[in-house]
Parts: sequence; structure tokens; C-alpha cells
Amino acid sequence: MTATAAVLKPAPARTAGPGRAGVRLAWLHIRSRRVPAGVLALAVCGGVLHAALHWHWAFGSGPYAQQIPMITEAGAAAVITVTSHSPFGETERATGRWLPYLRLFAAAGMCGLAIALLQLGAAGESLNEGILVLARNVTGITGIGLLCSLVTGGLLAWTLPLGYLAFCQYALLQGWTAPWTWPVRPPADRGAWICACAVFTAGLLLLTIRGPRTRLSDEE
Amino acid sequence: MTPAVISLRSGRATARRMASLAAAGRLLRLELKRNAMPYVLPLLAAVFFFDTVRTADGFPPVWTVRASVIGDHMLFEFSAFAGGIAAWAGSRERRRKALDLVASTPRAAWARLSVTLAGTLGWLLLAFLAGVAAIYIPTALQASWGGPPLWPVLAGVAGVIAVTMIGFTCGVAVPGRFTGPLVAIGVLVLYQAGFREALGLTASPASSGTFALLSPAGAVPSVDAGVYHHVAPDVSAVQVMFMGGIAVALLGVLGLAAALRQPAAADSLRSLRALLAGGDDWLLRAVAVVLVAAGVAASWTAYSLAGTARLTATGWQIPALHDAASDRPVPFIPDCTSGPRGFKVCVHPAFSGYLSEVATALDPVAAEIAGLPGAPVRAEQVASTGTWPSGYGPSRTAGNPPVFQYSGEQVGDLFGVFWGIPAGDWPDWRAGFQQGLLDSFLTGPPHPAAAARTGPAPLGAAQQAVEDGLMIAAGSQPPLRIGQRDHPGGQITAAASRFASLPASARHAWLAAHLPALRAGTITAAQIP
Repeated sequence: MTATAAVLKPAPARTAGPGRAGVRLAWLHIRSRRVPAGVLALAVCGGVLHAALHWHWAFGSGPYAQQIPMITEAGAAAVITVTSHSPFGETERATGRWLPYLRLFAAAGMCGLAIALLQLGAAGESLNEGILVLARNVTGITGIGLLCSLVTGGLLAWTLPLGYLAFCQYALLQGWTAPWTWPVRPPADRGAWICACAVFTAGLLLLTIRGPRTRLSDEE
Repeated sequence: MTPAVISLRSGRATARRMASLAAAGRLLRLELKRNAMPYVLPLLAAVFFFDTVRTADGFPPVWTVRASVIGDHMLFEFSAFAGGIAAWAGSRERRRKALDLVASTPRAAWARLSVTLAGTLGWLLLAFLAGVAAIYIPTALQASWGGPPLWPVLAGVAGVIAVTMIGFTCGVAVPGRFTGPLVAIGVLVLYQAGFREALGLTASPASSGTFALLSPAGAVPSVDAGVYHHVAPDVSAVQVMFMGGIAVALLGVLGLAAALRQPAAADSLRSLRALLAGGDDWLLRAVAVVLVAAGVAASWTAYSLAGTARLTATGWQIPALHDAASDRPVPFIPDCTSGPRGFKVCVHPAFSGYLSEVATALDPVAAEIAGLPGAPVRAEQVASTGTWPSGYGPSRTAGNPPVFQYSGEQVGDLFGVFWGIPAGDWPDWRAGFQQGLLDSFLTGPPHPAAAARTGPAPLGAAQQAVEDGLMIAAGSQPPLRIGQRDHPGGQITAAASRFASLPASARHAWLAAHLPALRAGTITAAQIP
């Protein structure tokens, strides 16, 4: 074999199986959404919750006791919604048929991770209303944020969860009982669970199908 | 140099200054137009309406009470959005990948960032002041006395500016998609932690944390706060100084932001010299350093001053800032009226809306005991003493001739007397007033004003029966007291019914004969006719 032939001989193709390619695709997807940094931000929320409970920044009981946990839960939800932003925009939509599934699993996975990290932050401390309300708040408020991302884009999707949080602080002190104010309802309230899950499902489905709003100016 | 040349040069300088101002104005106009804040304003307005406006509407139209929603509710909502949106605005150059582009413009980074900051802050302050107007204008239309307090507004403005500066600086220093929500969450946690401290504030700030006094949020004041005495501005002034200091220091940090991004030299002194001397405008950097130092000094001074605060009868005072003239009682002429049976009732003009209700409540029972020893000849509202949640001073009968004194917070067992309760819709409100008057009448003769601080003792069975009987005779249903239980066989209820069924003259005669024994507790319920 001549040197020329050796040069012209095609290099052995890197045989990446469908599994490995899938993992790489998923990794690239979550990296493009800054999910690793998002996980760090969720850990910060868990740390803040832990500090608030440990050093008694929050009240031990009564309506005020839910205020700081609710803030950290809304913060976690806001972080999840912000990770829905894509830096590629229309280009990405045109190329990948796996994109909706990636969006679905990224958002759902982040939500589960947020609940786990916040629960970890509350471990060993007395969390008002417990893990059930925490999980319900995170899922429901994440749903609000995902719905908001369809209108505002991912980067500003944290505004509506914060607005809902501010409203719920009022509802908490006024003792509202409407199921759509689920953060102020007790853990076993079925209507609150239905509302939170419905909002989360709607947000997740619409995000999966349509994706967040993208604009050329939305870069990071 | 001829006068003509001087005039020409002066004219050119003026023209340059005008052009510079016009350019800055144009930049600011562009910034106001392109800012993200207007898009968030509808959401902020909705939250503001649900939380702040509705809460304020539930309060009586007393200026200090209504103004308390600025720190307790309004600032919470504005903090959430101010911190987040300011961080969003601060990270714009990085987000748009325009750092290199704007670095080549003939403007200092500070000037460039200041325009963005001014646009964001302008929108926020405009919205904040509009919100204050939305609270104050209805209050002005409803309030019967007093004027709008400005210190809560100033503290609120300082809070919005400080939060905006924190958010903007974080956005410039750590530009990223998570900066906005994380800043907002951090600010809200700080706010709530301060609120938690403020509610647990005791008489000594040293024992409960100076942070509590620096928090703009706190317990709702008593209903007559600022009515009998001016609210001392000491704590608000310290809050403004503390938050203003933070804002000024962060403004200085922004001036150094570009230089701080450069890797710091190992020698900090050399690094500082390089910071001041490097770049194109060392003067601006020196000003920035001065601003940082001044801001830190102001905040530290405010923190130290708050540590010296002490609780007095008229509120928190800081000796170094306190003006003794503000301790003088606020002069007023009480609003008085007499019921159909001639019992005179007075309220402070700030609560004149309650005058007829109070007179209607007290007149029938006052007529039942009129002329008896120790029976009050009139009722007058006095300043409430104490604080929430430790409790307020009770109502009492004091002086000679005896006067029934009640506050806007507590009468007998009835709390929150003038907190917007619709008296006509709630019979217990009226009965609570009657109980308060009869409690102090039946438990003992009136004390001199100075000795009547503890209020009436708990009623015995016979006293309770007589009180209930008098109230039934006056047309009221006696409300059950907290923890009250009738004696076995319903002795109190039976005695009260018997006593109420007597003719008015017989009741009056029996009371005249047995009042000393009844007060001494030597009469049993069974002995009541």
C-alpha cells in the first residue's frame, strides 16, 4: 500500500451506538440549557431553605411559617423555567425530531431534582406542612412558569411564578381556601393537588409541543 | 485675550454641555422605551391590587395604619420584581454579547451602566409612587383627621432603590440567566427574615437583633398610632440611611465594575493604585471608591444607631436622632355626643365615624347605673398603651367625677375595637362595649387616673349575673367570655334572668343598697332578686 493509498483510505468510522448517541444528545441539550448551573442554583435554594429553617428565619407555626419555604419553592420553580430557554431558536426546531422529548424529560427531571434537593435542604429540620406541600408547590409553580415561558420566553419566565408567589403570600395571611391557591392549602387538600397537577401538566405538555417563545434578541 | 474670545469660548463650552445633556436625555429616553419593566408592570399592578390595596382597604382610615402597608406589603412585591428585573437589565450587555462593542464607545462604563440603571429605577420609582398615591388618595378621602406621613414613603423609596442596586450590581457582576430569579429570591428571603425579627422585637434591640429595627416590614401599628402622639421618625431615618448607604456603596461598585473584572494583582495596595490610576479616567474611579467608602460608612452608622434605640410610650426612639419636640401630645378637640338618655360619649376626631355606634352601645347600660356611686358620667377615648402581640392596656373607670376610659384597641374583653369592624352587623361589638363599662363599675370604685393601670379584676358569679342582667335589660345578649363557664345548674344565667325581669326602679334600688357588698364579693348569685 502506497502512502497515497494509506492517506486516502477512510478512517475507521467512530461507531456510536444509538444509546451512546442518545446520551450525547441529551447531554448537549441540557448543557445548552445551562442545566448544570441550574442544578447548582437549585442546590442554592435548598441551602437557603436549610439555613432559614436551621437559624429560625422563618416562623415555627401559623400562617407565617409557610412564607420562606414558599419563597424557596418558587425560586426553584423559577430556576426550572429559566432552563427552558434555548440559545439556538428556530434552527434547533428545524433539525431535531427528539427536541420535544428532550424538553419534556429535562423539565420533568429538573422538577423532580428540585423537590429532592429542597427536601434534602429541609432534612433534619421542621418543615411546615412537610414534603407533600413542598412537592405540590414546586410542581404547580413550575407549571405556571412553563406556561409563562410560552409567552415571555424562557429567560423572563420567572416573573409569573414570582407574581403568583407574592399573591399567595397575601392568600396565606387571609386564609384563602380556593384550590387554585394551592400553596396555602393543607397537604391533603384534593382540590389543591388537582389544580397544581393540572397546571403542571398543561405547562409541561405545551412546552413539549411548542417550546418556549424564542426571539433573536434572546441570547445569553 | 479679548472679551470677544472669552465669550466665544464660554459659548462653545455651554453648547458642549447642552449637547452632552441632550445626548444623555436621548439615551435615557431610549432606555425608558426599551426597558423590560413596563412589560412586568401589569403583573406588578395585579399583585399590588390584590395584596396591598385590599389590605389597606381593610384597615380603618387612619394615616399611620394605612401607611404601614407600604413597608409590610408593597415593598415585598416591589422587591421581587425590582431585584429580578434590575439584574436582567444589568446583565444585558453580556446577554446581547455586546461587551466588546460597547467597550469601544467613548463613554465610561459607569456612565453607560448608569443610563440603564436610571431607566430601570425610573420605571420602578414611578410605579412605586403611583402605588403610594393609590393608597393615600382613598385614605385622604376617608380620613377624618391628620395628614399623610412621608417617612414610610421615604423608607419605601430607599428600599426600592437599594433592592434595584443590589439586583443591577449582581446582574453586571454575575451576568447569567439565573441571576434575576436568584436575586429576587434572595431579596425576598432577606425581607421575610427581617419581618420575622421585627415581629419578635422586644424592648431591647440588643437582645432581639438590630436587624429587626432596620427591617422596613414590621408589626401592624396600633389603630391610634400617630393620632395622640407623632410617630417619631427616628427608626425610619435610620432605615433610609442604612438602605441609602447600601445603594450608594453599590453605585460606587458599579463604577469599579469594569476594573474589578481584571485579574487582581497579588499585592492589594498595588492593585488599588492600579485600579485608581489605570484606564482612561482615574477621577471617575476615585469618585467610585469614595462612594463605596461613604456608603459603607452610612450603613454602618445606621446600624450602630439602631443598636442604641429604646422603646418608650410613644414608640422607638434613637437618642442621637430624637427630637424631644415630637414627644408632645398632638392637640385635638374630641368629637362628643350624648345618647337619648343623656350619657356623653367622646371619641378622637380620627375615629368620629364610630361615635354614634359607641354612644348607642353605652347609653342604655349607663342609664341603668346612672346616679350610683362610681357610675361613670361620660366615656372618652384615650390613647392605647402597649404593643402587639404583648397586648394593650385595658379599659377602666377613673377620676372624679368618674369617667369611663377606653382605647381604640381594647374595651373590656373586646379587642381591635376600631379596626373597621362593622358594628351594626355584629351585636357582640356593642355588647363588648357594654361589658367593658360594667366590668369596671362592678369590680370596684374608680381609681385615681394614675392608679388605674391594671384594669378591672375578673368578675365573681354574682357580679357576672348582675352584669348580664343589666345587659339583658338594656336589650343586649351578653356574649360568653373567653373561658367563662356557668355555675352548676346555670346559677348565673338564672340570676341574670331574674334580675333583668325586675322593674328598672327595683334594679336601681337593689344596686344602690347592695353595691358595696357586690363589689366586695360577699353576695352570691342566689341572693340576687
